Amino acid sequence: MNNSILQTRDLAIGYPAGKRLGMSGNRRSGNRSKIVAEGMSLELREGELVCLLGPNGSGKSTLMRTLAGVQKPLGGEVLLSGTRLERLSARDGARLLSLVLTDKVLTGNLSVYALVALGRYPYTGWAGNLSPRDEAVVRHAIETTGTRMFAHRHLGDLSDGERQKVMIARAIAQDTPVIMLDEPTAHLDLPNRLEIVRLLKMLAREQKKAIVLSTHELDMALQTADRIWLMRPVDAPHGERKSSIVSGIPESLVLDGQLEQAFRRKGFEFDLHSGSFRFRHDAERTIGLVGDGVRAYWTRRALERIGCRVVPGTAVPQHVVVAGENGTGHWQFFDGSTRNPHKLQALSDVLTAVGVSASSGEVVR
Amino acid sequence: MAVRISGAQASDGHAWPLLSPKAGMLFVLLLALLLLFLLDIVLGSVQIPLESVIGILLGRGAEHPAWEKIITAIRLPKAATAVIAGAALSVSGLQMQTLFRNPLAGPSVLGISAGASLGVAVVMLASGGAANAFAIRQLGFGGSWLIVIAATLGAMAVLLIVLGIAVRIRDNVVLLIVGIMVGNITISLISIWQYFSEPEQIQDYLIWTFGSLGGVLGPQLAVLGAVVALGLLVSFSASKSLNVLLLGENYARSLGMSTFFVRVSVIAATSLLAGSVTGFCGPIGFIGIAVPHLTRSMLDTSDHRFLMPSCCLVGGILMLACDIVAQMPGTQTTLPINAVTALIGSPVVIWVIMKQRNLKSSFS
Repeated sequence: MNNSILQTRDLAIGYPAGKRLGMSGNRRSGNRSKIVAEGMSLELREGELVCLLGPNGSGKSTLMRTLAGVQKPLGGEVLLSGTRLERLSARDGARLLSLVLTDKVLTGNLSVYALVALGRYPYTGWAGNLSPRDEAVVRHAIETTGTRMFAHRHLGDLSDGERQKVMIARAIAQDTPVIMLDEPTAHLDLPNRLEIVRLLKMLAREQKKAIVLSTHELDMALQTADRIWLMRPVDAPHGERKSSIVSGIPESLVLDGQLEQAFRRKGFEFDLHSGSFRFRHDAERTIGLVGDGVRAYWTRRALERIGCRVVPGTAVPQHVVVAGENGTGHWQFFDGSTRNPHKLQALSDVLTAVGVSASSGEVVR
Repeated sequence: MAVRISGAQASDGHAWPLLSPKAGMLFVLLLALLLLFLLDIVLGSVQIPLESVIGILLGRGAEHPAWEKIITAIRLPKAATAVIAGAALSVSGLQMQTLFRNPLAGPSVLGISAGASLGVAVVMLASGGAANAFAIRQLGFGGSWLIVIAATLGAMAVLLIVLGIAVRIRDNVVLLIVGIMVGNITISLISIWQYFSEPEQIQDYLIWTFGSLGGVLGPQLAVLGAVVALGLLVSFSASKSLNVLLLGENYARSLGMSTFFVRVSVIAATSLLAGSVTGFCGPIGFIGIAVPHLTRSMLDTSDHRFLMPSCCLVGGILMLACDIVAQMPGTQTTLPINAVTALIGSPVVIWVIMKQRNLKSSFS
C-alpha cells in the first residue's frame, strides 16, 4: 500500500543562471546557476508530520519553495499526488498543496473570517463568492484552529500566536492533502509554540494531512516529528556551499550522529541524553556536588553555567552540599580553606560564594 | 457589541461575521453622489433656480433658452465628467496600492500621467508654429481631439515600456521603482522641451496641467465614458485576485493565482482609466491616492469586491465636491480643478485618517 502524496526524484534545487532581478540574493554566481542541493529523493506520506531541519543557509526555504511550485527545480522532478508539478495547473496545484509562510500580510482591514475565506480561492468562481459548502469549510477551519473567538476581529489586532493560527486556518480552508509551513513557530512564546505543534500533529493524525514544517527548534522536532528531513552543508569542490539531505525518524538521526554533524559548531556539544545542544564550557575549575533530586539538578546546571566542571561527591576540596527538603532546604559550600561550610539560603548566594573563592586565588584544580 | 444575528448562530453566542459588512453604506454613498451631482448642476456663475434645473433635466424645458443651453451643454457634461474621472482615478489608485503594497502608490506612479503630459507637451511645444498653437486655442484645450490623442499616445508609450519591463521582473517593488524612474525620465524630457520653447507655448502647456473637467462634450464624453467603463470592467473582474494579493505574492501564487496575469490586467486597466482621464481632463492629482484610503477608512474593509464600487462612488463624490468649490458659486471666477482637489481633499483625508487610525494596519 502506497499512500505517498509527494515524491521527489533526483531533485536539484537552487537558482537558475542569469537574471534574478528582484530576488534576494546571489550575485556572486554570475551566469552560472547556483545549485543549493541536488540528488534529493524524498517521500511524504499521508498523515505524516515531517520536520525540515538544517542550519541557516542550508536551503530549507529553497526546498520548500521548490516543493510548493513557487520556484522551479534545476533538475529532477517533484511529483504531487502522482503528477509532475509542472504539469499541474496553478489551480489544481493549489488544491493539493497549501503554504503557511513567514511573509507579512497587509490585510489590516480584513476580518479573520474574510482572510480564512481567501483560502477558498482555488474553488470559487471569478467573483469569488462562497458557496454554502465553501462557507462550511471556512467555518470548520476556524473551529479546528480555535480561532472562533476572534473571527470578527482584524488581523492587525491579533497577537503573533493568534495570527499564526489564523494563517494555518487559511491553509486548512484551502483543503489540501499537503500543508507546508515555513517556520510556523518562530517568534512565538512556549505555550503558543506547543499549541501550534499540537494543532499540526492533530491535523496529521485525524485528517490524514501530510505536513512539512521547517523549524530551528530541535527539541520540538525530536519530540513531535514522524520523520525528519535534515539538510546539512557538505563540502563541495571550488569552495561552493552545497547541502545534502537525509531523511529518517528522529531517534535514528540522533543515534547515528547525523544531527550532531549537521549543527556542529565550536563551543557546543550535543547531549545524547536530552537530545539538545548545550554550551560546552571549557571548565576552569572543578566543584564537587552532593545531593540528589530537582534542586541538585538545577544547582549543577547553575554551576556549569558559570563555568565549573561538576563532579559528584566530596573528593574535591571545594564542594557544594544540597541539604534539606524542598522549600526548607539550603546549601552548604565548602571553600576548601576552612573546615566549616558556609550555610547559604539561596542558589544565587552559592554562585556568589563560588565566584568569590575563585578570585581569592585558592582555586584547586 | 453589535452582533448581527444570522442563520448560523453559534453555540457560544458569537455569530459568524458577515463577509461584506456594510452593504447599506453603498446606498448612502449613492444617495450622496446623486445629491452632489444635482448640486453641481445647480450651482455656477449663472444662477438658475432649482425648479428650473429639475425641469430642464426632466426634459420639460425652461423659461430661458439660455438656461437650458447652460445646463445641457455645459453643466451636465461637466458633472458627468467629474463622476467618470473621480471613479476612474480612484479605482486605478486602489489597484496600484494593492498591487504595489504601498500606501503612496497611485495612478501616476507608473509614469502614466507623465507619459500623457509628454504627449501633450510634444504637440503643444514642438508644433512651434503660431498657426498650430492658434488652432489648438480655437478648439479649446480640454476638448481638443489632438490633445486627447497626444495624451493617450504618450501614456500608452510609457505604459508599453513599463509593461515590457514588468514581464521581465518578478518583484513588484522593483517594478514600482522602475515605474517611478520611467516617470522621472518622462518629466525631465518635458523640462528639456519647455526649456527650448516659447513662453506662450509653455503657458498653454501649463494651463493644460491645471486640469479641466469642462470641454468634454458630446462624442468626447461618450468616448471617455466607454473607455472608462471598459477599464472599470477589467478592474472589477480582478477583485478576487486583488483580495488574494493582500496576502502577498507568494501566498497568491500558492493559491493558484497567476501574478503575471493580474499584473498585466491591473496595468492595462490603469492605463485605460488614468490614461483616458488624463487625456481628456489633464493630469488630475490627489484623487487616485486619497480616495482608496478614504474608502478603506470609512468602510473598514479591504475586500476589493466591496471597495471597487465604493471607490467609484467616493471618487465621484469627492470630484463633484471639488468641482463645486472650483467654480466658486456666486462669483465669476473659477479655480483650476487640480489645485482644488489637493486643497480640499488633503485636509479631509488627514482628518479621516487621524480619526480612524487604521491606515497603518492596512499597510504594515
